[in-house]
Amino acid sequence: MEHRTEPKTFGEVFTLFATLWRENGPLGFARLAITLGKTPTAASRWWLGSVMLAALSLLFVLYQLVFVGHSSFNTSSDGVNWGLAISTYVYFALISSGLTMIAALGTVFGFKQFLPIAKRCIFLAIITLVAGFTVLALELGHPFRMLWAVPTGLQTMSPMFWMGVFYTIDLVLLIIKFYLMWQEDWDSPLSHAVGIAGFLAVILASGMLGLVFGSMVMRPMWYGPFTSIYFMLSAALCGAAAIVVTTYMAYGFDRNAMPERLRVLASGHELPMVFATLIGITLVMFVTRFWVGLWSNLDGLDGFRALVKTPLFHIELWLGLVLPFFMMLMPKLQKRMKPQMVAAFLVLGAMFINRYEFIVGGQLVPMFKGVWTHSLEAYVPSATEFALVGVGFGLALALYAFGEKLFHLSDAPPDTETAEPQRLATA
Amino acid sequence: MAKWGMVIDLEKCTGCQACTVACGMENSRLPGEHWQDVIFFQEGEFPNTELKWFPRPCMHCENPSCVAVCPTKATYKNESGQVLIDWERCIGCKYCMIACPYGVRFYTEEKPSYGGPNIKDVFPSDDAHSWNPPWKAPQEDWKHGVGVQPHDVVSKCTFCHHRISTAPAGTVDLDPSDPALREHTPACVVTCAPGARFFGDLSNPNSEVNKQIANKNGVRLLDHLGNKPQVYYLTGVGGSVPAERAIKPKV
Repeated sequence: MEHRTEPKTFGEVFTLFATLWRENGPLGFARLAITLGKTPTAASRWWLGSVMLAALSLLFVLYQLVFVGHSSFNTSSDGVNWGLAISTYVYFALISSGLTMIAALGTVFGFKQFLPIAKRCIFLAIITLVAGFTVLALELGHPFRMLWAVPTGLQTMSPMFWMGVFYTIDLVLLIIKFYLMWQEDWDSPLSHAVGIAGFLAVILASGMLGLVFGSMVMRPMWYGPFTSIYFMLSAALCGAAAIVVTTYMAYGFDRNAMPERLRVLASGHELPMVFATLIGITLVMFVTRFWVGLWSNLDGLDGFRALVKTPLFHIELWLGLVLPFFMMLMPKLQKRMKPQMVAAFLVLGAMFINRYEFIVGGQLVPMFKGVWTHSLEAYVPSATEFALVGVGFGLALALYAFGEKLFHLSDAPPDTETAEPQRLATA
Repeated sequence: MAKWGMVIDLEKCTGCQACTVACGMENSRLPGEHWQDVIFFQEGEFPNTELKWFPRPCMHCENPSCVAVCPTKATYKNESGQVLIDWERCIGCKYCMIACPYGVRFYTEEKPSYGGPNIKDVFPSDDAHSWNPPWKAPQEDWKHGVGVQPHDVVSKCTFCHHRISTAPAGTVDLDPSDPALREHTPACVVTCAPGARFFGDLSNPNSEVNKQIANKNGVRLLDHLGNKPQVYYLTGVGGSVPAERAIKPKV
């Protein structure tokens, strides 16, 4: 591993870039930017690809939005109003919430074995939320108008208003928390308070996102108090899967490259058990939602019958939830890196399908739409909508590679419990 | 202040769609963007099947879910009981479209639902309007969602706000057969050949709409959802209000 120092203030960050620019000239600086530093690291492997993905997708989306407008989307007033873009936003927003919950295991609830992933979780929570907000802003008709119209409107009856309030609070607290971790402040009362407040904010934020859908009594596939709980708990699963994948990515999929405490966590029993528990909870909720939907006669629930006939549903259920669940339960597999990686990738894929199936599936039964609409809605996302998914993933991965290079994301507070006996032993 | 409401007599409605056309002309609507529509649907299965129709404007609910969900208060209920949109506040999030049980809200930027060329491209606008119809009604009031809308906003039936807001104070019934009130009556009510539509003040017990509702058992669409529409239907013996969505999907 390359030994490097982490800049500790914003001034140092700017000095670092300025020095690189001065030493290498503009061309050299550009070359450094492309390769993400002089010496190749694990992060530089996905840096260039993800920057290209984000840039190309964003250019395509902006071209479409400027020259065609939002009619380049395949969403329609006759049926699916919210399409792939909104499900991508929900996917990233809930990954962010889940990562904050996983970070809280160490920073709020005192499970010290999870502290080595806390800083990475918080950083990832910030960038996935940024990626989600970016996709949302490109989906909205007037994103800049939102900046003044929401605060001046103060429509406290709207779940979307509260979603915005709590995700904004969440983002601010995440940034403060990350700043404190960056300054190696793990134990001050302020750091604890920010951690606890951040956890509360994220529970409320994901709960309010659930309420956006759960309060829609006219859309019975979404309606009910279950939706917020479903979002909160499946968010935790997304967070767990994301941190497993990204931690291994940062060390080039090689456990031996990890710092000692991180390796202990990755190869231990607790991580797969937390992961398996969260998959299990999500699996139960997923199946419960479908069997209630399939059994009931209520008008509007017909979408469930259509969903179980799609291949996506079965990929999600069997490949994306059941298989990883058993992989993480089997003692022979659960502690090994490859099964953990495969399980985490499968879960992340399944949850992407899940958000799409939840949001688009919930609108399959048309409202009163007359002669134009005969049966369930047919919706296939357009190229622009797929490009927005590219924007989300590209941006999240590129920001992650950048953060991985700039910060020590595996930093943790000094391990007092194991350090003390060692000191005693050497004394 | 009046609380405007509509009564539609389904026994009289012939499903001629004149209301839909009148609304489109009056409000400069895009093809397919039917603020007012007559929904045709089939009930039963062959050989016991029946073709039915159901006129459906915005319900201007007493308790509108679209108003509650709008994060910017762009959608609001005014003091005369109409649900309107301020196009200068709308951010195009489409949450109101999600929350409307009756499917009466329309987003401007969409692929044409009718086949054929995109009329917005055929008659493009060179200013903030989303398109420039070759003929359009003169009124425009973006604060109340009247006229040709700007880009990326949601639009809906206004109960012809530009007409009814100029009605003489104290008017109880907007009866299109009264020449003095005709130009203040919603276009769909004026044009209805069989006279199936009544428009008046729901807060006045002596209004024609209240008499019709009381004497002929007026009912509201999807009343169990709690939105409490201000549009009532008279079913009589021949008409029927769909208890659920008009089209039962085949799964």
